[in-house]
Amino acid sequence: MIDNSTEFRIKRGFGLTMMIALLMFAAIPTLWVLILSLRTPLAIFEPIWESPFALTLDNFFKITRSDFPSALLNSFVTAGLSTVFAMIVGVPAGFALAKARMSGKFVASWILLLLRMAPPVGFVIPLFLLYANAGLVDTYTGLVFAYMTLTLPLVTWSMWNSFAQIPDELIEAAIMDDASLPKAFLLIALPAARPGVVAAAILAFLVAWNDFFYALIITRSDTATAPVAVMNFISYDSVDWASIAVASIALTLPILPLMAIANRYIVQSLSGAVKG
Amino acid sequence: MADLTISRRGATYELQRGYRMMMVPAVLAVGIFAIVPLAGMLGLAFSDYHLIRGTDWDFGFHNFAKMVSDRRLLNSIYVMAALSFFGVAAQVIIGSAIAVGLQKITGKWRVGRVLFLLPYAVPHVAVALVWLSLFTPTLSPINAFFDLFGITVPAFLTSQSGAIFAIVIADTWATFPFAMLIIMAALQGISPDLEEAAAIDGATRIKTFIFITLPLLAPALLMVTLFRFIDSLKHFPLIFVMTKGGPGRSTQATNFYSYVQTFQNSNVAYGAAVAAVLFLMAALISYYVAKLNQRVTS
Amino acid sequence: MRRLLSTALVGTLALAAPFTPTAALAEEINVVMFGMPYTNGLRDLADEFEAETGIKANIDVIGQDVFENRITLSFTGGTGDIDVVHTPVIQVQRWIQAGWLQPVTDLVSDEVTSDILAGPLGAYDVNGEQWALPFFAGVGLMSYREDLLEAAGVDVPETWEDMLEVSAAITTDDQAAIALRAVPGQGFNMFIFPMVMRAYGGTFFADYEGGDLTPAINSPENIEALNIYIELINEYGPAGAGNFNFAEVNAAAKNGQIAFAVEGTGIISQIVDPEQSQFADVTGIALPPGGPAGRSPAIGVHGMGIPASATNPEAAAQFIEWAVSAETVSKIALAQSFPDFTTASVAENADVVAKYAAIHPDFLSTRVAALDLAIGHYRPLIPEWPALGQAIGESVNAAINGLMTPEEALEQAEADMRDILGQ
Repeated sequence: MIDNSTEFRIKRGFGLTMMIALLMFAAIPTLWVLILSLRTPLAIFEPIWESPFALTLDNFFKITRSDFPSALLNSFVTAGLSTVFAMIVGVPAGFALAKARMSGKFVASWILLLLRMAPPVGFVIPLFLLYANAGLVDTYTGLVFAYMTLTLPLVTWSMWNSFAQIPDELIEAAIMDDASLPKAFLLIALPAARPGVVAAAILAFLVAWNDFFYALIITRSDTATAPVAVMNFISYDSVDWASIAVASIALTLPILPLMAIANRYIVQSLSGAVKG
Repeated sequence: MADLTISRRGATYELQRGYRMMMVPAVLAVGIFAIVPLAGMLGLAFSDYHLIRGTDWDFGFHNFAKMVSDRRLLNSIYVMAALSFFGVAAQVIIGSAIAVGLQKITGKWRVGRVLFLLPYAVPHVAVALVWLSLFTPTLSPINAFFDLFGITVPAFLTSQSGAIFAIVIADTWATFPFAMLIIMAALQGISPDLEEAAAIDGATRIKTFIFITLPLLAPALLMVTLFRFIDSLKHFPLIFVMTKGGPGRSTQATNFYSYVQTFQNSNVAYGAAVAAVLFLMAALISYYVAKLNQRVTS
Repeated sequence: MRRLLSTALVGTLALAAPFTPTAALAEEINVVMFGMPYTNGLRDLADEFEAETGIKANIDVIGQDVFENRITLSFTGGTGDIDVVHTPVIQVQRWIQAGWLQPVTDLVSDEVTSDILAGPLGAYDVNGEQWALPFFAGVGLMSYREDLLEAAGVDVPETWEDMLEVSAAITTDDQAAIALRAVPGQGFNMFIFPMVMRAYGGTFFADYEGGDLTPAINSPENIEALNIYIELINEYGPAGAGNFNFAEVNAAAKNGQIAFAVEGTGIISQIVDPEQSQFADVTGIALPPGGPAGRSPAIGVHGMGIPASATNPEAAAQFIEWAVSAETVSKIALAQSFPDFTTASVAENADVVAKYAAIHPDFLSTRVAALDLAIGHYRPLIPEWPALGQAIGESVNAAINGLMTPEEALEQAEADMRDILGQ
């Protein structure tokens, strides 16, 4: 039923204003960063309306000549790999958590969170020593391993929720029809939980992309990732605001193709698949 | 008939075993990796290892005894509680609000969703610097803008509550997309038929939302709260860059205090002990939230 | 339980032992430093070192916080992957006591050390051994806006009392007078505040030079100094000055929002650089103000040392000698904004003098004057200083932002000092 009463209109207006306010909250700092990245050194903090033309692309050129591009690549590789592994291991785990009737479920889900719960400052030295000894300092393998402790719990728990929304009968029906568990999982459950899978993948990637702590401990000059590289713009007696701004912009760019790919897989309504 | 039931039971057993096998790699991977760092942290927490003075191999509860009378620690717990509570609440509410709002947007505007994800991609150090500049009156375009109208925006970072507010805002800006994504995925798992059925039965939109949508979102909301809460205990870059724990010690959250003890005071053992206490708190709270989650998803 | 825990600790510490570094074969050394003009310039000259000596130097210049993290882990774990380390004098005592450094006394030649300024060199002499060679001695200076002073009809203040009067004259609704570091930290507000402390005769200890380390920070002199610091920041500083670090002071000066900045040479040189500041050509440089007990400019010395776990100390020493040689330092002084060198003969290099005279005629001479006035233990050179500086800085910041009175703040600071020193 279409409700055109004033009450509805007010609620709609309210909703719209709220969305616009939230959009401003999300977008204005991003805009500010964009402006900072384009400013000439002399006018860097001047309000844009006072000197609207003191802009330059030099900051972008400067950063291509620094170590930042390789750090960006490192971030990409490590975040990507850890997402892939996290999905391969975590999605089935999430499915099991949602559908299984086992007693260890709770403990298992709790163990996944174990390392995440400890403040990094506490275990920084033992962690480093472990890595130094295993020869994993400054390696991709080492970093991907470390990221797994962040991404795996995330994917597993997230998929737990997504799979829980799929009625058990669907799975059981498939099994009754003599399909094996892997088949039921791949052909029935997975497609039904597609939005959840995509969301989990995006999140896992971003969490690894954003991580600062493990990169600080484990990487050196070869595998330094972007968050660490950004810290290198803070030196003993100066803060390179412009480069930090450019780096921030550069770090948000990969999101765009990511979302483009994701958009194709997020389906608006699932009524067909769920009802069966 | 008997044959069928036996084969069904057999199939169920196979099923459960299959499920268990799907879980094992995940638990093993995280569990094994977590053992050494956690054991090391606990070992340090009970020791007297000091970066400069070395160690006398004296193990005991002395670090924990010291904590009882440590007023700086108590202060840090209050700070952390404030940051966690307001931060997580803000992230969940704003993230959910945006998720719900985005559901209603269709068509070509969907591409705008990307804008809401961008803050999450910015590394926390950069977020901290950006918001530091936004909250510093001499640098901020916000202050400059309001100055045009003669309104002076106060300096947030030089007062206790202002500084906490500033950090919560910066934190929320950087992490609301997390909540947004999870809630969005959960919303799409809810069949619109349910909403239609409720509407036909005469329920208003608000009632539908409260009594139908929210309970179905509960697992997702719990998960977001749990993860964000655990992460909030580890607050560091924002505090370090924006206020260095100031003014005074009013934004020195517990993790930051552990850092001060470990790296500035060289008291690695005490820092590890503080970290261990944080770990315990996180473990306890996550235990209850996880139990809740389990009940809700079953 | 005890056995279990000690096993856990031993287990993780023992993991450190077997790690063997690979820099031993083809003469290669790893140099780790944090970013400042000198280190950036040094990194650019790495190839010259290889050409001269055949040793390949991998110079890593990273952010200061990344650096702190990295060396703490490397030294605690004894991983031996660093051959030359950037050694700030404020940390050297601490590192020596932790056993992280090896002396360079026998590894560097007298020829090289004789060309280095005595003060900074002596700062690295602990217990008769030389632990590092300095390359940088930054001092506290004051920059001032000549045009604003002229417009208000006031002169450059010689004392902090004068500064209060002058600031009052300059401050209007749209213009602040001065910005000082306020953020808590031994390298932040505790780099600038002792200038005011010592100008009024305040000290950290009862008798530092005599060896009496009884905390004496809660004294009438220090309270007076703290009151002045608070007044300058709150009454005559820009909005939000209670959270200022060097970056904000720098930005405020560049934006023309303040008339005075009392800062380290690194910041001052950026303020008078026409490529970075619009007001560079109307900015003058002077010594920081003094007080009844004289003038005590801030000083921060940085040098290069050799970690105890380094595997090739001879090559490392060769690198250090090359890095502080007059030739290398001159090149860097010309290529970068680096007037804080500690290699004496560079001061006579005509090109260098000309370059900095062109930036500002008084620059080098004021710097030298400040160096002469500065005392080596401007910030106490004891292993506990980083911890002390942090605690005191927090109390000072609390007083600045009105969370406690100056008296309460210094009381708390003294209590924390006793706590940290184990008294």
